[in-house]
Amino acid sequence: MNSVMPPLVAYQILAAILFTIGVVGVLVRRSALIIFMSIELMLNAVNLSFVAFSRQHGSMDGHIFVFFVMAVAAAEVAIGLAILVAIFRKKETANVDDVHLLKG
Amino acid sequence: MLETILFAFFALTAIFCALGVVFHKNPVHCALLLVGVLLSLSGLFILLSAQFIAALQVIVYAGAIMVLFLFVLMLLNFRQDPDVLTPGAAKGFGFLFGLLVMVELLWTALSPNGGEGGGLPAAPPLPADFGSPAAIGKILYTTWLFPFEITSILLLVAVVGAVVLAKRKFA
Repeated sequence: MNSVMPPLVAYQILAAILFTIGVVGVLVRRSALIIFMSIELMLNAVNLSFVAFSRQHGSMDGHIFVFFVMAVAAAEVAIGLAILVAIFRKKETANVDDVHLLKG
Repeated sequence: MLETILFAFFALTAIFCALGVVFHKNPVHCALLLVGVLLSLSGLFILLSAQFIAALQVIVYAGAIMVLFLFVLMLLNFRQDPDVLTPGAAKGFGFLFGLLVMVELLWTALSPNGGEGGGLPAAPPLPADFGSPAAIGKILYTTWLFPFEITSILLLVAVVGAVVLAKRKFA
C-alpha cells in the first residue's frame, strides 16, 4: 500500500466541495446554530486536506495539525454556543439578522 | 479497487449530508446530517491510514461537539423556520461567492504543476506505525509539546468563558 489510492487530487477535490458547501451555508442561512454547523463543515474539509497531504508525504505532522484544529473547534463551539444561549435569553431569537446591537 | 469504491461511497455520503446540513429546514435534522458528514470523513481518514485521527473524529466531533449542538437545540427549542435562507440579494451574493470559492479551490487542486512547479513527488513508503496513537503521541509530546501545552490553556479559557457566559444574567 505504497501509493495513495485514490489519488491525492481526489481528496483535494472532495475537500474543496465540502469547504464550498460550508461557505455557502454561512452566507445563506440565517440561524446562528446552522452557521456554526457550516463552520464545522469547513474545519472538517480542511482536516481532510491535512490528512490527505500527510498521507502523501508520509509525515505525521498533518495529523498533529488536525488534532489542534479539533481542540480549537471544541473551544470555539463551547464559547459560541454559550454566546448563542445568552443572546437567545435576551432577544428570544437566534436569527443573525435580528441581532444588530452594535449596528451604528 | 476496494479503496476506490469505499472512497466514492464515503465522498458521496459526505457531500449529500453536507448539502442537507445547509439546506434542510429542521435544525435537528441538520445536526444529525452533520453527524453523517463527520462519520464519512472518519471513514476517509481510515482510508488514508490515519486510524488515531479517525477515532478522535468519532469521539470528539461526532460525540462531544454534536452532543453540545443537540443540547443547545433542545434547550432553546428552536421553532422550524419556513424561511430558512437569507432573503433577497444577500442570498444571490452568497451563492455567487460560493461558486467563486469553488472555482478557485478546484483551480488550485487541479493545477498540474502543484503550485510550485514539478508536481508532487511520489509518496514515500510509510513507516509501519504510521497514524498509530503511539507514533502520534511520540511526536506530540516531543516536537509539538509547546503547542500542546498552549492548547490546554486555550481549553481552560474556553471552559471558564463558557461558564461565565452561561451564568451571567444579561440586563
